[in-house]
Amino acid sequence: MFKNRLMSVASISTISACLLVVGIFFAVAVNVEHMLGEIENRIGLAVFFNQEVEEEKILEIKTALEAKPEVHKVEYVSAAQAWENFKEEYFRGREDLLVGFDDDNPLEDSASLQIFMNDISMQKQLVGSIGALPEVRYVRQAEQVTSVIESFNSLVAYTSLGMTAILVMVSIFLISNTVRLAISIRKKEIKIMRYVGAKNSLITAPFLFEGILIGVVGSLIPMLLIYLAYDQATERLHAQFLILREYLVFLPVWTVLQTLVPLSLFIGVLIGLVGSQWTIHKYLKA
Amino acid sequence: MIELENVTKVYSNGVKALDDVSFQIGKGEFVFIVGNSGSGKTTLFKLLIKEIEATQGKIFVDGINITQLSHRKIPKLRRHMGVVFQDFRLLTDISVYENVAFALKVVEASSRKIKRSVPMVLSMVGLADKTKMKPTELSGGEQQRTALARAIVNNPPILLADEPTGNLDPKTSWEIMKLLQEINLRGTTVVVVTHDKEVVNAMKKRVVTLKDGKVVRDVQKGDYGHED
Repeated sequence: MFKNRLMSVASISTISACLLVVGIFFAVAVNVEHMLGEIENRIGLAVFFNQEVEEEKILEIKTALEAKPEVHKVEYVSAAQAWENFKEEYFRGREDLLVGFDDDNPLEDSASLQIFMNDISMQKQLVGSIGALPEVRYVRQAEQVTSVIESFNSLVAYTSLGMTAILVMVSIFLISNTVRLAISIRKKEIKIMRYVGAKNSLITAPFLFEGILIGVVGSLIPMLLIYLAYDQATERLHAQFLILREYLVFLPVWTVLQTLVPLSLFIGVLIGLVGSQWTIHKYLKA
Repeated sequence: MIELENVTKVYSNGVKALDDVSFQIGKGEFVFIVGNSGSGKTTLFKLLIKEIEATQGKIFVDGINITQLSHRKIPKLRRHMGVVFQDFRLLTDISVYENVAFALKVVEASSRKIKRSVPMVLSMVGLADKTKMKPTELSGGEQQRTALARAIVNNPPILLADEPTGNLDPKTSWEIMKLLQEINLRGTTVVVVTHDKEVVNAMKKRVVTLKDGKVVRDVQKGDYGHED
């Protein structure tokens, strides 16, 4: 085993590189997914109504919206409530400035429904259908934010997919070479095994085992690296983007590794199996 | 035990190595297959161990048509026959004992059986005192004895030898032949492919002569015949 150390090291490194890419992108993707989920609960739509629409009608619409599966929750903000919120937000501590308003509500027409989405990808469609209602004056949405996050996520997915595919192919090629070298080193032994009636499985097993072992080792190294670097990386990101602190909610490393380790092992073993099996078939035909 | 029926072998480069060859070898026989280089004797040897496939015809070993044997069943066939080559084909980095034990290990024999059989067969071929030596420390004759020990340690009913004395001097060749005869006397069918005239003439066994891929002579207690 591993008589051809250099090739083994090369194979393991390639698989490690491959799965490190997979791992990093996976970690980014699940975190983005997680953050999106968090943000989705904060970003909502605000639906404003025409002046003459009565509260009853608005509440009717609210009930209809709540029935939709993509809607997480709907809050009714009356005109009075809106004014209270506004005062709270902008004139806190300077209530003296509000004297002139007395009991007038400058936001009289601002009764609104705040909609929080379950599924942010459905937002655009929902905006369309709400906007078509005759009672609705205006729908305010944070579409840009959501679409940026979404496109970022799919960019991550596609890039990682592409890079993984390339690296998987390189890994298979290298493993194949490693196994081929191992076979050539043991050519004489294999031939003798054949002559004395060794089963094919007995002859091929060590090479399959070598391929799988390379796959396993190659898949565990990047997991270790990710485990060691994860906390530091997330802290760095926090420090870099202080403004976004509220949104940068990272998953704990164990949650990421829980899915990533089996995934990585699976890919690694698969690469090892395919690479060695392919070569064995090619060079050890019975 | 071994039966060839109209066996023809044409290699992919068009060379016809065997042309409609038919003969039988009975259980317990000792047979020389002789011929000049290019006569097809090595092709015949390779066909018998199913290292290559016949183009036409049938080869029966123990009543089984091996030309129709699936690849998966080749190991079973090979356990039926011990093989010995001109170049010994020993593993040079392990001892004589381990070389012989190797043949038992790869057929998954128990370690008890290995411990019992290996010293027995090594003493039979006269190597009892050299079991710990590496093949490279042995003479050619001793290496061939090791190869013989490896070939018969599984007690195969057939022993096939391809030019077993090709690399040995006459005296050593003769010793190997005596050993083959001894193995034959214990009931093993022995087939020796050779062009070693002296050995063949001295042994007085059945001789099958091949020429240009055809059997041209098949005599009991014969000699090498005329070189032409």
